Amino acid sequence: MKKLPLHTKILLGMTLGLIFGMIAIQFPALASFTKDFIKPFGTIFIRSLKMVAVPLVLASLIIGVANIGDISKLSRMGGKTLGIFVVTTIISITIGLTTVAILKPGEKLPEETRQNLMSMYDENAGSKIDVAAEVKTRGPLQPLVDMVPDNIFLATTNNGRMLQVVFFALLVGVALLQTSKEKGATVLSFFNGINEVIIKIVQYIMMLAPYGVFALIAALIVEIAGDSPDKAWELLYALLWYTITVVLGMFIMMTVVYPLLIKYFSKLGYLEFFKGIRPAMLLGFSTSSSTATLPVTMDRVEKKLGVSEEVASFVLPLGATINMNGTSLYQGVSAVFIAQAMGLDLSLSQQLMIVLTATLAAVGTAGVPGAGLVMLVIVLEAAGIPAAGIALIMAPERILDMIRTMVNITGDASVSVVVASTEGALKPAEELKEVSE
Amino acid sequence: MRKKLPIHVKILIGLLLGVVWAFISSALGWNKFTITWIDPFGTIFIRLLKFIAVPLVLFSIIGGVANLSDVSKLGRLGGKTLIAYMVTTFLAIFVGLFFVNTIKPGTYMDEEQRIKNRLSYELWLQQEGMGPSQDGQSYLSDPKYEKYLSESQEAQKLTDAQRKDIEEKMAAAQAQKESSPLTFIVNMVPENVLFSISNNQLMLQVIFFAIFFGITIVLIPKETAKPVVDFINGVNAIFVKMVELVMRAAPFFVFALLAGIVAKMANTPAEVFEIFVGLGSYAVTLLAGLFFVIFVMYPSILKVFVRKIKYREFFRNISPAQFLGFSTSSSAATLPVTMECVEDNMGVPKSISSFVLPIGATVNMDGTSLHQAVAVIFMAQLHMVDLTIGQQLTIVLTASLASIGAAAVPSAGLIMMIIVLQSVGLNPAWVAIIFPIDRPLDMVRTVVNVTGDATVSTLIAKSEGELTKYS
Repeated sequence: MKKLPLHTKILLGMTLGLIFGMIAIQFPALASFTKDFIKPFGTIFIRSLKMVAVPLVLASLIIGVANIGDISKLSRMGGKTLGIFVVTTIISITIGLTTVAILKPGEKLPEETRQNLMSMYDENAGSKIDVAAEVKTRGPLQPLVDMVPDNIFLATTNNGRMLQVVFFALLVGVALLQTSKEKGATVLSFFNGINEVIIKIVQYIMMLAPYGVFALIAALIVEIAGDSPDKAWELLYALLWYTITVVLGMFIMMTVVYPLLIKYFSKLGYLEFFKGIRPAMLLGFSTSSSTATLPVTMDRVEKKLGVSEEVASFVLPLGATINMNGTSLYQGVSAVFIAQAMGLDLSLSQQLMIVLTATLAAVGTAGVPGAGLVMLVIVLEAAGIPAAGIALIMAPERILDMIRTMVNITGDASVSVVVASTEGALKPAEELKEVSE
Repeated sequence: MRKKLPIHVKILIGLLLGVVWAFISSALGWNKFTITWIDPFGTIFIRLLKFIAVPLVLFSIIGGVANLSDVSKLGRLGGKTLIAYMVTTFLAIFVGLFFVNTIKPGTYMDEEQRIKNRLSYELWLQQEGMGPSQDGQSYLSDPKYEKYLSESQEAQKLTDAQRKDIEEKMAAAQAQKESSPLTFIVNMVPENVLFSISNNQLMLQVIFFAIFFGITIVLIPKETAKPVVDFINGVNAIFVKMVELVMRAAPFFVFALLAGIVAKMANTPAEVFEIFVGLGSYAVTLLAGLFFVIFVMYPSILKVFVRKIKYREFFRNISPAQFLGFSTSSSAATLPVTMECVEDNMGVPKSISSFVLPIGATVNMDGTSLHQAVAVIFMAQLHMVDLTIGQQLTIVLTASLASIGAAAVPSAGLIMMIIVLQSVGLNPAWVAIIFPIDRPLDMVRTVVNVTGDATVSTLIAKSEGELTKYS
């Protein structure tokens, strides 16, 4: 057991939770045992994720901005790269939100189950729906207004005001860049320390993930099924639709967005592009880690796509940490799916909130290993969706993680091609062939 | 001349002067003046201490844990701390049971009244459909008690306000009982650290986070951690100094606090005595139990393990904290001072006190659990209900578990008592009986809690071999 990598253990916890839940619903005594003695551990896991959300956003964004700021100051190429990263991230989230809005996977669940879920995860469900209704009547710019905190300490005490914390942290980061080095150094190293500590804490919490996931899934099955196992199957059916939605969104990214991007900015044919980076994509799929795949990606991008070494060695490592198109798309879809499954209607401004939080959180919480779950919690909290709902999407998480890594890598590679091409650092395809043959 | 007096003597003087002042002022009809112009300073004092408590807990735990050389020590410390607190709580409850069963305060009341009480209890049982009474006897079916029946039906009627208050408390108790038995662990994990910090009731969550954060600091590279540790140590030093500054003014503040408390309790001294006389036997029993715990139980436990400490020295060391606990009746508000006393006078190293004391202030409630046991059995005696040893043991268990679980529940004492009463099938509305004198008894309870925390932290320092002053 000790030797297994974490994500395998999570997968194991998930499967065992599923099996355990299915068994538990056959025996009433076991079901109530699950509610009393297993569910609390799932709740503890979720709560501890929520616990680190605010400090993580605060510290890592301040540090992140300060570091990224240095990069973009460094060169025109840095600024351009960051710009393209942000644009592709926003595009991917938008595609995710669109597909989920069209397919509505969460509404595959029967109405009764959805209300059941809502009351299960949120004690004051009624009030949330009221708030959502109220939000709809506001002006379109209200989200922007709401982004600015009127008291930063109050904002940090409320997970629902995550975007205000993000805004404040960005501001502090930018301000830190503008202050003189020796004066800013103390603050920077303080937050740097805090950031290290929080990242370590996230790692510890993730060590509990297999058990937390087990408890969450077992409790979910028991509570949703009550006495009829059919409802558990309905849930799995809805999850299938959710998986299809995510995969469809990623498929659009791969077959429409990236080819268009490459076609428009460079002379590279997209078939050639895919053929060139295919090994990197496959490795990403099997390892589900952009960082682990990085050497292969760099090798392929340089040798097969003709991106100059200078561009590749700058864009790709940066992209591996901060550009996560697949992940952002996944987060958008998941957030809306959870909301749909609970019968929450998300307003346009709430969806905008998801886009903003997911983008900024992706840029800011760069390089936090295992931060995917925390980031999803952050996005959910910011949009006012009960975070315990992530229990719903745990089951297909592993397979989706593999696919989204593939998208992340493809995204990084396309951005490197675009940057190289506009900088005139892309070797023509003919030249490459000569080299390789 | 006054400058030379040690701080605890000054506080004691302030305390006595406060009581004297309250009696004089009520005799002269100046009560209103005392409440408007003196009492606020007492409130200011409690607020000062409370606002220092949270940052002090946060930073001292982080600092204390981060300075530990190895983390495995923390697990050992934690285990010892919890066991020590549990043992003292059980002992305190047994002391309470012993006193209440030997003195039998409930039997001092008029026999007729008790029969009426008993009948109304049985009526209540019928109403609630709870079956036969706990001891299996039925006074209702006994013809010789018939003449009291109508009167006791009268007596059972409560005013609307009382009923509403009790219903609210029962709802809270119900919610506490219905939740999963592991809820108290779940509630230890904060959902938002800064929210926990902004709420005094969530101290346990702050402790949880601080310990977690402190452990993690040890595990990251030294250079990266240094700015954080420096910052935390700096802020911690400032808050410790703040406690010292506040303590300099403590005698005056304690005077104001006591004057206010007594003045608010009753208009004339005669009324105060009246309240006490009604429940006198109960108050005496409870006080006897509490004092026994303070003056016999803790010192003897300490003496067994720490030979070198003298009886009077122990009290000289921690008396400022005790007096403060008495006048604020809040162990959280007293916490900053307890830490100072235990560290400076008792010689407990910071790494231990900063870990053991905050946990004690929230989890360890020796006085409160003793109070539960005495009160519940007193009320049973008052209603002529005989509780068996088994039922009394149920009380012990429920009371000690409830005292741990209720750490985060505001006005926990009375809600816990409702749970305890229900656990042995008694009428939870009875808590109303002891309401009137709860405040003064709460003051003594807090002294017990504070003394218990100090004793346990000293014991743990000794067991770690770090109590250099007394070894």
